[in-house]
Amino acid sequence: MTDPILQVSHLTIEAGSRTLLRDISLVIAPHEVFTIIGASGSGKSTLLKSLNRLVDLTSSLKVSGQVSFRGSPIYAPGVDADALRARIGILFQQPVVFPGSIAQNVIFGVKHLGQTRKQDWPEIAERALREASLWDEVKDRLQQPAILLSVGQQQRLCLARALATQPEVILMDEPTSALDPKSTEAIEDLIVRLKVKHTLVLVTHNLRQAQRLADTLAFVGGRDGAGQVLAIGNPDDVLSNRDQPELAAFLVTD
Amino acid sequence: MSRKLLHHGFRAFTALCALLACSILGWLIFAIARRGWPAISWQFFTEQIRLVGASGGIFYNLIGTGILLLTAFITSSPMALSLALLHGVYLREGRWKRALETLLYVINGMPSIVCGIFGLIVFVQFLGWGKSWLSGGFLLGIIMLPTVTVALMERIASLPVRYVEAATGLGLRQSQIIWSIILPQSLSGLVTGSLLGLARAAGEIAPIMFTATIFAGATIPHGVKESPVLSLPYHIFILAQDSFDPSVGAKVWGTALVMIGLVFVLSLIALPARLKMHEEAHHD
Repeated sequence: MTDPILQVSHLTIEAGSRTLLRDISLVIAPHEVFTIIGASGSGKSTLLKSLNRLVDLTSSLKVSGQVSFRGSPIYAPGVDADALRARIGILFQQPVVFPGSIAQNVIFGVKHLGQTRKQDWPEIAERALREASLWDEVKDRLQQPAILLSVGQQQRLCLARALATQPEVILMDEPTSALDPKSTEAIEDLIVRLKVKHTLVLVTHNLRQAQRLADTLAFVGGRDGAGQVLAIGNPDDVLSNRDQPELAAFLVTD
Repeated sequence: MSRKLLHHGFRAFTALCALLACSILGWLIFAIARRGWPAISWQFFTEQIRLVGASGGIFYNLIGTGILLLTAFITSSPMALSLALLHGVYLREGRWKRALETLLYVINGMPSIVCGIFGLIVFVQFLGWGKSWLSGGFLLGIIMLPTVTVALMERIASLPVRYVEAATGLGLRQSQIIWSIILPQSLSGLVTGSLLGLARAAGEIAPIMFTATIFAGATIPHGVKESPVLSLPYHIFILAQDSFDPSVGAKVWGTALVMIGLVFVLSLIALPARLKMHEEAHHD
């Protein structure tokens, strides 16, 4: 078996006296689409953001346990969280485009991370936009404000921006929940293609999407007041599992 | 019925109060314009003061006020940016953040004569700059600091959190986020706050009469220490004491009209930036 790219071991996240996630353990293999499903408020997004230490932005959260990226613990003292995030990109539920043109948005990360030469930016932008299946739609208007794009295009632009920095893992927090069916399909097709080069961790509450895309499926459910991984494995096995009452209730209501 | 009556009564009362305020302002501008307009001419702007203000123009007073305001802008901008970043980025909610806000309100509420004495003791005497445009400009910079800082603080607070989250998610360090997101997006706050602050500083007399300005005898400063300038507000202050002389009186009103024009132009330049901020705050 190949070494995991991400490994979560006994991860617990607390906000003050409230436990958001309890004793989470997961293994994510390279080049798989690892999908997390669960009811709203079960802690799926917090779990996702703990994988690249984006939870650090919320000062009230206390993390215990460990997450390892390529065998190195990311919550160990002295770890450069910013450098880690450059290797583990993230796509949010709502597209976040920065004020400026489409071209400025795509190269935003590479420009400010300062790892590439200025003359390489146009080539990087084209490669990332092609990878995000947006190049043909925007190649003639790269200098136009990004905010003028449709929401679906904006989300693919955000994906292109993340891809431009060449992350090894891409975290996706319900990336299609704000999109129309056509844009959703475009993102789903992209996810299938992207796993050739990247590892993807997808949070979704769309069961059809989870079934279609997931190589491994994890269900996070609320038990004893905290989110816990209650089922994990092959998507068909998880979705047919009726042993866990929380999962059964989730499958019925969703 | 009584509720409706109360509603209309309250509306009429507020409209009357607003009308009264506008009328006072309109009357003030009209009175100054009527008396000051005869003094306005090309020579008034291009000639220097003559016959103890009874003749000549306000050329060096305009230059002096311009130098003081420019110095104030240059000194207040970096301080205001640093304080606003301290407030919006580095300090967490709590004692220190509240202390910084209180400090700004205290500076804002400080009587200008106290600021003048402070400037006299610190810049003129302790630092040895003497009566100079630098002392006055620095002091005006401190006086306008709260206005600029608060405008910047509001701008930073209105920035969408998702920008910071998205930039962090790309691996940018805090300093890179400040440079790439926070500063470019806060520029309109700096412009607005500075122009409003300058509009206020332009009319201050007490701070500069101890530190920077004299009535006559100064032209363009050739040094830093002991290099006073002429200024518009001090010119009005001195001439007003001799305003029983009709020729001096016209010059006072003329200078006052120029000052109102200056403040009006500064406020007007700030308007588009303010409107943009307002629009963005509601858009986000």
